[in-house]
Parts: sequence; structure tokens; C-alpha cells
Amino acid sequence: MINLGSYLAISFALFVCGILVMIARKNIIAMLLGIELILNASALNFAAYTKFTNNNLDGHIVSLFIIVIAAAEAAVGLGIVIRFFQLRESIHIDDAATLQN
Amino acid sequence: MDYTLSTVAPIVLIPFFAFVLNAFIVKKFTKLAVAISTGAIFVSFLFALRIFMDFMNVYSVGYYIHKTFTWFDLSAGSHVFKVNMGIYIDNMTAVMLLMVTGAATLIHVFSTWYMHDDPRFGRFFVYLSLFTSAMLGLVLSDNLLSVFIFWELMGFCSYSLIGFYYEKEGAGNASMKAFMTTRVGDVFFLLGILALWSVVGNVTFVDIYKAIGAGAFNNLYALGIPLATFAGVSVFLGTMGKSAQVPLQVWLPDAMWGPTPCSALIHAATMVAAGVYLSLRMYPLMELGHMLPFIAVIGGITAFGAATIALVQTDIKAVLAYSTISQLGYMVIGIGVGSYNASFMHLITHAVFKACLFLSAGSVIHSIHCQEMPQMGGLRKKLPYTFFAMLLCCFAIAGVPFFSGFVSKDRILGDALVLALTNANHIYKLVALLGFGGAFLTAFYMFRMLFLTFFGEPRDHHIYDHAHDEHLGWNSNVPLLILSLFTLGLFYSGSFTGQGEVNLFGSKNEWFSTLIHKPDATSLHHFSEYKAEEFGSVDTRDKVQLTPAVYDENHGMSEHVAHEIHQIHHIGAILSIIIAFCGIFLAYSMYIKKSVNPGWWTSTFANWTKALKNKYYFDDLYVGKIIQKGLLPFNDLLSRFDMGFFDKYAIDGWASVNRWAFTISKWFDNTIIDSGMVDGTGASVRMMNVVLRTVQSGKIQMYFIVIVVVLAGYVWTLSF
Repeated sequence: MINLGSYLAISFALFVCGILVMIARKNIIAMLLGIELILNASALNFAAYTKFTNNNLDGHIVSLFIIVIAAAEAAVGLGIVIRFFQLRESIHIDDAATLQN
Repeated sequence: MDYTLSTVAPIVLIPFFAFVLNAFIVKKFTKLAVAISTGAIFVSFLFALRIFMDFMNVYSVGYYIHKTFTWFDLSAGSHVFKVNMGIYIDNMTAVMLLMVTGAATLIHVFSTWYMHDDPRFGRFFVYLSLFTSAMLGLVLSDNLLSVFIFWELMGFCSYSLIGFYYEKEGAGNASMKAFMTTRVGDVFFLLGILALWSVVGNVTFVDIYKAIGAGAFNNLYALGIPLATFAGVSVFLGTMGKSAQVPLQVWLPDAMWGPTPCSALIHAATMVAAGVYLSLRMYPLMELGHMLPFIAVIGGITAFGAATIALVQTDIKAVLAYSTISQLGYMVIGIGVGSYNASFMHLITHAVFKACLFLSAGSVIHSIHCQEMPQMGGLRKKLPYTFFAMLLCCFAIAGVPFFSGFVSKDRILGDALVLALTNANHIYKLVALLGFGGAFLTAFYMFRMLFLTFFGEPRDHHIYDHAHDEHLGWNSNVPLLILSLFTLGLFYSGSFTGQGEVNLFGSKNEWFSTLIHKPDATSLHHFSEYKAEEFGSVDTRDKVQLTPAVYDENHGMSEHVAHEIHQIHHIGAILSIIIAFCGIFLAYSMYIKKSVNPGWWTSTFANWTKALKNKYYFDDLYVGKIIQKGLLPFNDLLSRFDMGFFDKYAIDGWASVNRWAFTISKWFDNTIIDSGMVDGTGASVRMMNVVLRTVQSGKIQMYFIVIVVVLAGYVWTLSF
């Protein structure tokens, strides 16, 4: 039987993976992928709670919103990355620390 | 009429505001400033006239208005210290106000003609306004303290007016001399005020009268002399300074350095009148202090001594200056012989004819640009109006019957004669002798001046030919003619003779002697009923019915005594008429008929003449002996004390104490404040900065770790 706990476990795993990718990878595009993972984890959470607690479509709708937001975020993020690359010829995150000094 | 702030205060305030306003606009709008000053004093005159009419309508000895307000109140608990200011109008004030404003108005009008070529035309009027308002304030004052304030204000104005031509060295010195000499008297006057304050508790005239009436001064001594005498002498010394009595008379002759209209103001309406006015106000104190003989002697010496000096003067203004001192001496004799009423009348009549004499002298000086009488002569054809005015005034001052000077001076001399013949104190004999002798000399030197100026042949043809013919002009000689009209005795006595035999004013005959009430020991109880009203309160005096005064021929004495005194008065009157005509005749025979040669007198009494020319060496005494031998060494001593002790130890010592304090303070400032606190603040901020800067690394992943850790910690706390 697939219960709520299973959904939440997968969601948690996705979330942790996303966090780890965000923290560990120095490539900006990889970090954006990490963000996608975190968003998907939250979308899965919404869908799971809706399925097991009440029978309306609120969670599903929010999940759809999250997908749209993720797409928009990816577009904006990639745009920033391209401009950054044009400027520095690098997509290494440590090159983006120049605001200090 | 009701007496509120708006009906009385303008008398003083309008000239004062004219002064304040003109002080600002005088440079740009000179003509306007002159018009404002003259207009202001004229409005004051109208207000004073209103009070005078009221005073004549009420026609009672008990007429008075006393309004006060609290100036400041420093009372603490049971200790009362409250100073009131206010106005006190009685019959004397009403007459005085009319005289001061009237004479001042005419002097202002005359000045618009006399001064109009002067580069400081407007400034002169600024001073005149302040001067007049100060005098009016003094006359209206109800207490000695405000009298003193206005007194000093007048001292300042006389200083600026005498030194008006400040580019001349003599004028500058004369103004300083006037200021310093009157200051000697002022110091004593202030001392007298303090002495009175210590007994009475305030210095309102009425309260002083009440205290004297109640015997508050009995058995009080200051420095071993009775307090009343002490205060009286102190106040009288103030009078001696202001009214130029011997030995403080030296400033008045020098006061002629000022423009002639200002001399008219100083000698007639304002400055010197203030001194006599004060002594008249303080008459009960003088009487209580038993100092009337002293006052009479001072007055007698002044009256006679100044008259003798006037004999040898050649400057037309100098003659008038000495005649002023001499006439002031008569007023002081009047106080000294208890002739209160006549003394005050002489103050008024003298103010009128002396103002006229000075304006006439101004007219002469303006037309020939010369003050020396030996260079004049024969001017009567050139200056007919001035001659007419001066002739009337000379009759008045010489004491010719039917003129004002006769009415007042004769009564003073008559009273002096009464005391000389009846009083046990023989000093009064001397006073009467000096008085009559002075009257003879007065008649002589005034007509000497008149004859030398206006009669005979012109002695300096150059000056004579350049003199312009006089035309009647509203501001050149009409003021003189108006003033000369009031030298007629009937305005003051209501009759031609001054004895009430020709009745002109009906029941108001002899109004002057009837209404001006002598506050002597027997009548001081009147004042116990006098009450001051607050300014702005409803006037209740209209409801009080005052009994009209009636002329008492016996002046409150028994018929027998009055008869005796009347007889002596008649002798005195006849004597003074004879003396006046003798003086005039002597002047006539010396300077017109030339049957008596003045040169014989000067050569026979050469030493005497020399003393007179040197003004009895008073100036030499003051400058050579008192100032150079006495004050300057003392000054040196003080300066040595100042430099050697005070400067060296007190000032320099204080400086080194300060230097030490400075060193300590500097160390404290550098070490604690600057290094410790100011720099310490900076250093601590810099340290914080180092810490915070490392946290803000710019590494996004570092921030992200922090966010996750914080969030995790938050979630972890929620689970409890």
C-alpha cells in the first residue's frame, strides 16, 4: 500500500538532494537544477497532502502553479547565467562573489 | 475729565516716541523728522493744556491725581519689597506741565528757523525730543526713583546738546564738565533717596509727606546728624548740581557752547528747573531738617555772586547764563525763606522770560554771526521785533512793576525781608542784603546788555552792514513775541500790581498764590487722605466734590501778624522798585548818556574785576587744586594699586591658576576624551567591521548553508 509516508519520504529525498546539489556544486547551471529538485519536492508534497487529507483539487492546482513558476524561474535563471558568462567567461559560482571587495 | 493711561501718558510718550522714530529716520528724512518732533511736542502741549484747564475748573487746593502701577515686586514672605511707578498731578504739576510743553513748543518752532542751515539739523531735534520728554516724565513722576531716572536722562541729553558742535574742542570739554559736575550732585541725590527709602519704605512723594507728618523721622540719626537733615542735604546737593548753585555752578556758563535754542531749553524749561522743582517737592523734608537757613544762604551767595560775574561779561550768551544762575539763586532763596509759592512762581516766570531772552539772543547771533557785545550796537533798527521782545524780558527780569519778574521776585525778596527783620537768626539779614543787592545788579547788567546790543551807534560797521533786516516770520520771531507777551505780570497774579488791587480775573484773581499750596508742617495732615489709584481702574475722582479755593489775603495767619507782614512787604516792594530803577538808570548813564565812565570802575577795582573775569577762580580751583592736586594724585595712587597689586597678584595670579587648570584640562582632553572616547569609538567600530566583513563573504552557497541550518534549527525547536 502506498501511503502518505512513502510520498513524503520521496519528497524529502528530493529535497535533500536539491539542497546538497545547491551547496556542493560550483556550477551555476547545476545549482539551478538543484533548485528545480527542491521545487519538485514541494510540488510532490502538495499533491500528496491533497490526495490523503481532503478530496479537493487545491494541492494539484498549486502543483501546477509550481511547475509554471519553475519554468519561469529556469528561463530567468538561464538568462542571468548567459549574461554572467558573457561578462566573466565563466559559470563558476565563486566568480560571482566580486560584490565584496 | 478722567485720567487714564491714554490721557496722561501721551504727554511723555509722544515726544519719546518721536525721539525713537526720529533716531532711525533722521538721516534720510531730515525735514520729516523735524516736523514729527515739533508736532509731537505740540500735541503734548495740547494734552497739558487740557489738564491745566481741568485744574482751573476744579480750582481747589486739594486737586490731585495719583495713579500707580507695580513696576516690580520682589516680596518674599513677610519681607515686602515692592517698587511702584506712577503719575502724580497736583496744582504744581499742572502749571509746570503747561510751562514746559509751551516753552518747549516755541523753542522747537524757533529751532526750525535757527538750525536749518546746520548739517546736523535733524539730530538736534532728536535730542530736543528726548530732553523734553525726560523733563515731562520728571514732572509727572510720583516718586523720587523715577525722578532720578528722568533726571539722569536729562543729564545725558544736556551732555549731548552742549557738545552738539563736537568738532569744537571747547564744546566737547563743556559737555563733559556739565555731565561730571551735575554727577557730583546726582550721587548725593541717590544717597538721599536711599536714606528716605530706609525710613519711609518707598519713595513716593505723598508717602514721604505722610511719614514726615506722622513723625517717622523723629530720633533717627545717620552719621550722628538727624536723618531728615542728612536726607535733606543730600537731596539739596542734587538740586545744587542740577540748578547750578554755588559751588557746583561752574558747568552752566560753559553750557552756552551748545546751540542757542538748546541753551534756551536748558536754562528755562528743562534742566535747571528740574533742580528747583525737586527741592520744592521736598520742601517738607528741608523744613524738617532745619536746613532752610543753609538753603537761603546758598541761594543768596549764588544770586549775588553770579550777578557780579555777569557785570563784566562781554559775550551776550554769557550774560544770560550768569543771569540764569543768579535767578536760580533767587528761587533757592525763596525755598530758604519759606516762600514756597513765590519761589515756584519765579521758576515759571523765569522760564518764560529766560526762554525768550535766549531765543532773542539767538535771533541776534543768527543775523550778525557774532556773540561779542562790544561789536554790536544800534541793532534796534535792524531787528525791531527781537528788540521789542528783549525789552519786555529785560523789564521782567529787572523787576519793573507790571511784569512777571517783579510779581515773583518781589514776593521772594519781601519774605526775605520779613525774616531779616523778625527772625532771630541773623543769617537772614545777610540773605536779604544779598537778595536786594543782586536785584540791583540784575537790573544793571540786563540793561547794560540791552543798551550795548541795541542802542547807540554801531561799533563794528562791517558786522552791522551785513546784518539782514528782520521780517516777521512764523518761526523766526513770532515765538519770541508770544513768549514776551507772557512776561506781563497779570497772567500770574490776575492783577497788575500783584497785590490784588486791580481785579482782572474775578474770583480767580491771584490764582497762583491761592492754588499752589505750601506743604509745610501745619498742612501735612492733608496728605493722609491722599490715595493712589491703580492705572486702568475706574476713576472715582469725578465723584469727589472738592471745595473751591478762595484767596486768603492773610495767608492763614492772624490778622495782626498778617498786617505786620504786609507792611514789611510794602516796604520791600517799594525798595525793590527803587533798586530796579536805580540799576536801569546806572546802566543808562553808563552806556547811553555816557556820564559815568565804566572804565573808571574797572581800573579802580582792578583786582575785583580780575576776579570777576576769572569767575572768582572757581574753575582754577577745581582744575588746578582739586583735580590736579587732589584727584590726580589719588588717581595715581589708585592706578599704582591697580597695577602693582591688583593686576600683579589678582589678575596675573588668576591667570596662572587658569594656566594650571588649562594644562590639566588639556591632558584630560587629549588622553581620556580624544584618545579614549573619540578614537575608542572609532576603533571598536572598526573591529566590529572586521568580524562582520568576513561573514558577508559574497559566497552564495555559504549564505545558503546558513539559511538551511537556521531553518533546520527552527524546525527542530518546533518539534518540542
